[in-house]
Amino acid sequence: MEELIIKNLRAGVEGKEILKGVDLRIGKGEVHVIMGPNGAGKSTLSAVLAGRPNFKVTEGEVLFDGADLLAMTPEERSWAGIFLSFQYPVEIPGVSITNFMKAALAARRKAQGLPELTPAEFLKLLREKMALVQMKGEFARREVNVGFSGGEKKRNEIFQMAMLEPSLAILDETDSGLDVDALKTVSDGVNSLRSPRRSFVIITHYQKLLEYIKPDVVHVLKEGRIVKTGGPELADFIWKEGFESING
Amino acid sequence: MDKRIFIIGRDNVPERLSLKAGQSIFWTLVALPGVSAELSLEVDIEGEGCEVDIAGLYLCKDSENLSLNMNVRHNAPGSVSRQVFKGILDGKAKVNFDGLIYVRKDSQRTKAAQQSKTILLSSEAVISTRPQLEIYADDVECSHGAASGFLNTDELFYMRSRGIPEDQARRMQMTSFLSTVLQRLPQSLQEEITDCL
Repeated sequence: MEELIIKNLRAGVEGKEILKGVDLRIGKGEVHVIMGPNGAGKSTLSAVLAGRPNFKVTEGEVLFDGADLLAMTPEERSWAGIFLSFQYPVEIPGVSITNFMKAALAARRKAQGLPELTPAEFLKLLREKMALVQMKGEFARREVNVGFSGGEKKRNEIFQMAMLEPSLAILDETDSGLDVDALKTVSDGVNSLRSPRRSFVIITHYQKLLEYIKPDVVHVLKEGRIVKTGGPELADFIWKEGFESING
Repeated sequence: MDKRIFIIGRDNVPERLSLKAGQSIFWTLVALPGVSAELSLEVDIEGEGCEVDIAGLYLCKDSENLSLNMNVRHNAPGSVSRQVFKGILDGKAKVNFDGLIYVRKDSQRTKAAQQSKTILLSSEAVISTRPQLEIYADDVECSHGAASGFLNTDELFYMRSRGIPEDQARRMQMTSFLSTVLQRLPQSLQEEITDCL
């Protein structure tokens, strides 16, 4: 069954059209990579899917598990199972990672009609997911992203993804600015979260990440449209020939 | 160390204070919603090795009128003063913040900083800040800054994208904004304040 269906999506910001008719279908459990040059609309696509307020959709529709995604608020999208790993995660001084995740999980469970986790259950989950991204005990007490290195911020995104167990995870250039060790930690985190019930959209303009994460489908986004779709070999081709060689 | 907390409108805040060498204060001023007041505090540092640490927090929800006038005078060398004020204004609240740091000619090796930050929740709320430095010594480290604005939309979106509902995310943002001052207060007072957000 298809998890996400994007039909002729046109969207932009501040009156400027960036996505010019995107069509995309993602099946349950599939890993899709979207590559493309700077300014192609990759981050706009992730922003529109997650519901960033200043982005305006002018045409098209997005169905998520059959529901109208574009009609939902950002928090409703999260409750429905969407997770966006930010390219530039935001710092929240004075709010610990523990309290941030407690609030997020409590709101989600309430929306889903589930009882709140007991403190013991929450702590167990927190430890389990921290181990997944190799975060030490003190990490949970740190203020969200405050004073984090680039790599720590991205690991924190993957940690939050693990905590929230989304059915569709969108990774917006999670690999950019990471050294090889951090890239490996992030990729291991993603790989261990792969499941038949969870799809991924991985946005990148490096091919390096694909040495660690094997996608099912690769798309090329250029000038606001998907101009080519193929298997993992498409990424190799782009790596050798560049985006210029691909025209829609 | 003279560590004190003043709830404006409930506690009397001294108007003048003079510090001798080696004396330090760590004061926190809090104005809860519904409080209109005119507050003036003059601190004279008359000796070396003093540390003045004053923080303030004010929450105005409606039509409060708050006037804060802070004067810190370094009349002797080698002392430190730090001031940080954070406010959240809603409705038609009006806040006036005047802050003066004065460093006398022979007050070398002075370190003085003053910061005033305000979040406006309503377009009818007004903050007027006037930070002033009057420095006559040359071997000093002094800074002041004033900023006011609305809640950061990137922060809000980040929280909501994790499933935190908008109103709760706004309260979390305000708590985050106030955190440097909140941390100086006992748990019960922190809760009293965050319950007002």
